[in-house]
Amino acid sequence: MSRFEYHQPESLADAVDLAARFGDRASFLAGGTDLIVQIERGRAAPRHVIGLGRVPGLTGVEVGERGITLGACVTHRVIEQTPALAGPLRCLVEGAEVIGGHQVRNVATVGGNLANASPAADLVPCLVALDGAVTLVGPGGERKLPIERFLLGPNRTARRPEELMIRVGLSTLPPRAATAFLKAGRRRAMEISVVCVAARLVLDSSFERCLEARVVLGAVAPTVVRAHAAEGLLEGQPVGGESFRRAAEAAQESCRPIDDVRASARFRQHLVGVLVRRALDRCVERARRAA
Amino acid sequence: MARIPITLTINRELHEALIEPDRTLLDVLRTDLGLTGTKTNCLDAECGVCTVLVDGLAVNSCLYLAVVAQGRAITTIEGLASTGEGLAPAGTLHPLQEAFVEHGAVQCGYCIPGMILSAKAYLDDHPRPTEAQIREALAGNLCRCTGYQKIVDAVLAAASRMATGAVTS
Amino acid sequence: MSTGTRVAGRSLPRIDAPGKVTGSAVYAADFALPGMLYGKVFRSAEPHARLVRVDTARAAAMPGVRAVITAADAADVRYGAAVKDEPVFAPDVVRYVGQPLAAVAAVSLEAAEAALAAIEAVYEPRPPVLDLAAALAPAAPLVHEGWRSYTAIPILQRDGNVCNRARIVVGDVERGWVEAAHVFEHRFTTAMVHQGYTEPRAAVAAWDSSGQVTVWSNTQLPFDVQATLADILAIAPSKVRIIVPGVGGGFGGKLRIGVEHFAALLARKSGRPVKVMTTSEEELTAAYPRQGTVIELKTGVTRDGRLTARQGRIYFDTGAFAGSGPGVASVATMVLAGPYRTPNLHLEGYAVYTNKTNCGSYRAPSGPQANFAVESQMDIIADALGIDPLELRLRNIVHEGDEGPTGQVLTAVGLEECLRRAADAIGWPDRRPGPGRGKGLAIGWWTTTGGSSGVYVKINPDGSVTLSTGAVEIGTAALTGAAQVLAEALGVDLADITVISGDTASTPFDFGAQGSRTAFAVGNACRAAAAELERKLFELAAAHLKTTGDTLELRDKHVVGPGGRVSLAELARQSQVAGGGMIAHGTFIAPGTAYDTKRVEGHVYPAFHSPSFHAHAVDLSVDAETGEVTIHKYVVAQDVGFALNPIYIEGQIEGGVAQGLGQTLSEEIVYRDGRVLNANLTDYKMPTTLDVPRIESILVAHPGRVGPFGAKGVGEPPNIEPPAAVANAIAAAVGARITSLPITAEKIVLGHPGGATGGAR
Repeated sequence: MSRFEYHQPESLADAVDLAARFGDRASFLAGGTDLIVQIERGRAAPRHVIGLGRVPGLTGVEVGERGITLGACVTHRVIEQTPALAGPLRCLVEGAEVIGGHQVRNVATVGGNLANASPAADLVPCLVALDGAVTLVGPGGERKLPIERFLLGPNRTARRPEELMIRVGLSTLPPRAATAFLKAGRRRAMEISVVCVAARLVLDSSFERCLEARVVLGAVAPTVVRAHAAEGLLEGQPVGGESFRRAAEAAQESCRPIDDVRASARFRQHLVGVLVRRALDRCVERARRAA
Repeated sequence: MARIPITLTINRELHEALIEPDRTLLDVLRTDLGLTGTKTNCLDAECGVCTVLVDGLAVNSCLYLAVVAQGRAITTIEGLASTGEGLAPAGTLHPLQEAFVEHGAVQCGYCIPGMILSAKAYLDDHPRPTEAQIREALAGNLCRCTGYQKIVDAVLAAASRMATGAVTS
Repeated sequence: MSTGTRVAGRSLPRIDAPGKVTGSAVYAADFALPGMLYGKVFRSAEPHARLVRVDTARAAAMPGVRAVITAADAADVRYGAAVKDEPVFAPDVVRYVGQPLAAVAAVSLEAAEAALAAIEAVYEPRPPVLDLAAALAPAAPLVHEGWRSYTAIPILQRDGNVCNRARIVVGDVERGWVEAAHVFEHRFTTAMVHQGYTEPRAAVAAWDSSGQVTVWSNTQLPFDVQATLADILAIAPSKVRIIVPGVGGGFGGKLRIGVEHFAALLARKSGRPVKVMTTSEEELTAAYPRQGTVIELKTGVTRDGRLTARQGRIYFDTGAFAGSGPGVASVATMVLAGPYRTPNLHLEGYAVYTNKTNCGSYRAPSGPQANFAVESQMDIIADALGIDPLELRLRNIVHEGDEGPTGQVLTAVGLEECLRRAADAIGWPDRRPGPGRGKGLAIGWWTTTGGSSGVYVKINPDGSVTLSTGAVEIGTAALTGAAQVLAEALGVDLADITVISGDTASTPFDFGAQGSRTAFAVGNACRAAAAELERKLFELAAAHLKTTGDTLELRDKHVVGPGGRVSLAELARQSQVAGGGMIAHGTFIAPGTAYDTKRVEGHVYPAFHSPSFHAHAVDLSVDAETGEVTIHKYVVAQDVGFALNPIYIEGQIEGGVAQGLGQTLSEEIVYRDGRVLNANLTDYKMPTTLDVPRIESILVAHPGRVGPFGAKGVGEPPNIEPPAAVANAIAAAVGARITSLPITAEKIVLGHPGGATGGAR
């Protein structure tokens, strides 16, 4: 006896119809690397699985002047290998290339990663650093949500059961901008982050002063954390040294890490300080080098 | 849900099976089709022994539904040696298989099918890899016996042979 | 490579490689029979409790379920390697989370899992004994109230929660403290770690109409499992046949009965073949991992660093059943002594019960734990005295003819050469090449386990040779090495030899793939068989070649004499026609190693046979802010006696160091309140390709007197020294002395609670 009925819609409309029909008894299947595990372990028990493999329009990557669009079913591998994402947008590649092994990255999607809403998801801080927003489609039409409002808690999102995430939109970067992503873990691959950090800086024409900053933390709270206080201490300030140190401290204060089998809260807090500082340094280095 | 008929293209052969849709590709390969070259272990995408190629991309078959594999070209370890269709006689080992033998890269052997397929997928796209790139490509395949060194040596050697000589598959 | 050998000593490809690279090799996990059922085990959810009842009625009625068994279906038998304390299913008291309580067999895995979910167990929880401290406290609750009633190896020193205390006493340590200028005392701890084989434990059992059960299993010790299973089934061992199709890694975790008894009992009850296989979760909660330890080490040295005395206690948290604990506690005392000249010793190993999974043997059992303490302390001593750590060791290491801790005379001692060459290769004495960078050394010694091996060797009429051995190939290429020894002796090529192995019914007895003994013992048994075959071949050939035996030799697959030659194939054909075939039985058991029995007590392993010696050296950097460790270079110099097949010996070194680095930096089974928190491969972190550096192997050869061509056991030693070598390098790099394994980034940055516990007077 199969645990679920499998559906393979061939259009977006059909996919949404199925979701509307089955509601919370259905789950969408993208790469499967989260959903299938959860079903096998008994942590999820959908009666209907709606495969997205044949729904068109979900796998495109567009990098334009007005923004970047990632289809919800864009895989981590595609992100890794898209040249347009390798420049100042590099944190996306850095966040994508560390999840799992290549077997996972070949099938796991950005939408699936967001929908799974793990507090330690690596790509999520990178998306938030680029002002990421998800577009959801339901019977009532489309709506757009910034990722920080989409992610509600561990494995909880604002997606309604009858909605399908179709794309993630990101901001383009102005000139003299750079991004960086760093993570810490106990081994160098196949690692759920103990702490991860994505940073984005826009520098002024002298490359000595920060105009805009994003500092985003993962694995240190129930969902991704925008370190607003840290960002405030960076904008308008000279780069490096004291201002980066103060920003790192502020970032430490903005996180609420836990003790778990991977690390203690105290160590996580310490790492936030170190990784934020290093991510900021790296952004400066990259912005200057690109010039 | 009742069983549904599926047709899987595995190593360029068609295989039919009647399966529940919640069955994984790994389970169908091993249990229904008797292709036990693909191995089972963690069932959690953590160890890589279940690695197969789907349209040339390495995937963990333990988390890949068999129904999703329909219409795609699946390669398992059994499909690597020559079938005799090309230039090489049937049974000729793929350069990766030969290199693993020659370089002492095989110990207990349980991780090897997945390891070879991961390497093949990478070499097919990157014919002249560095050691660092090979290690990145194989990071999702755990080996407990070898410490990876001779596996990396074997992949480097195979890459060299494949880049310069005739390839059988 | 030794001169004068043609096959033995060459890096030839292993015999079983083609099957493994094509996926045609069948492992126990792959094995299946028509009509086979799938078995699953129902396990305890409490660490310590009275088992009020197990309700299986609902499970038995579920669709597809063909058999359900509980303690009532198994003989009232306890088994265990040293202490027979373990039941198949807990009959009345549950002693660890994960302990088997019942099992089901069903037509599919899904149906079996559904049946498990329908079983209900009712417990009356008791206070669990959670760790060593709790187990050893005065008036501690007993994990086994009936411990006195258990059958055990007579020499064990058992008392309550201690299932053995092994002891070595030499001289008088009190005198040693008086003679010492400095005395150092330190405490070390190590975590429970798992062997991490990639193939789960698996067994398929099928009964035939004569009341014999055949079990296809991935055990490392088919004859041991045969005996244990016979006890459990209450039938004669000859009615139990164990066949090993292939093993996907063992490292000691597949020595003892694992799932074979469940498969056999379910098959008997259902009348169908049954397959049982473990999951990752079961491996990390209910297997035979390496014991966690607490080590207290007190060492006295003179002003110029000569050891005067050592007192050591190592406590093994061996879990709910004794398992390998008593033996491991014994071996540990040998490792605590180390390959050093120390006139006064008082060394004790304790195996202690707690309410956790019973622990077993993992590659060099007790080695990494005890060596971590000894070699870390040596560096601490060196630094305190202002003596170079290499120099301190050179002043104290054993040499040819010296005594081991139990009085055995040490021969073929390649230790100094190993130490100097490893240190040289790592660039000693430049111990701190840069900021945050340091080098560390560690040395050790180990045994080649004894036990007997028999082989049949048959020469076939086509000239091929069949080697039949009860040994099992677990991945080390030991059987290839043994076949090389055989090929050498018979004058044939490795490619001429076919190996048949691991069948208790048809292959001769072998003590098993444990203790680095297989190539050594099977190789020697092959030599014995080859000698007998030579005698028979020469006898037959003499008639052909019209000459006597002394002028004949085996060469190029022929018997060659002054006047001509005749092929082995021809002689085998003749023998088959007129003499029943050209076959010989060869046996080997290592001679005992003499030692002083007055020095030991409760000691299961009082001498190291054909000992090996080794030195590890590592060069690494530590990111002081994140605690991340990057290894630049890792060197192993190992005295292997004679390298039977260098490329696979390198493989043992590279793989053993990789496992050792896992134990050192990232692996631990974490218990809280008697439950494992990380029973999955996401959070039980084994090293990946990006975590293991290149390892340089230096094969040193001081041939022993016993092994084939002087070979010694090679498989286990590489696991021993990594923790201490890395700990010493980290201390050199950033001044952080971590005395607890694993040495995580967190411990390096924040310090371990209790930190570097110890000091000097």
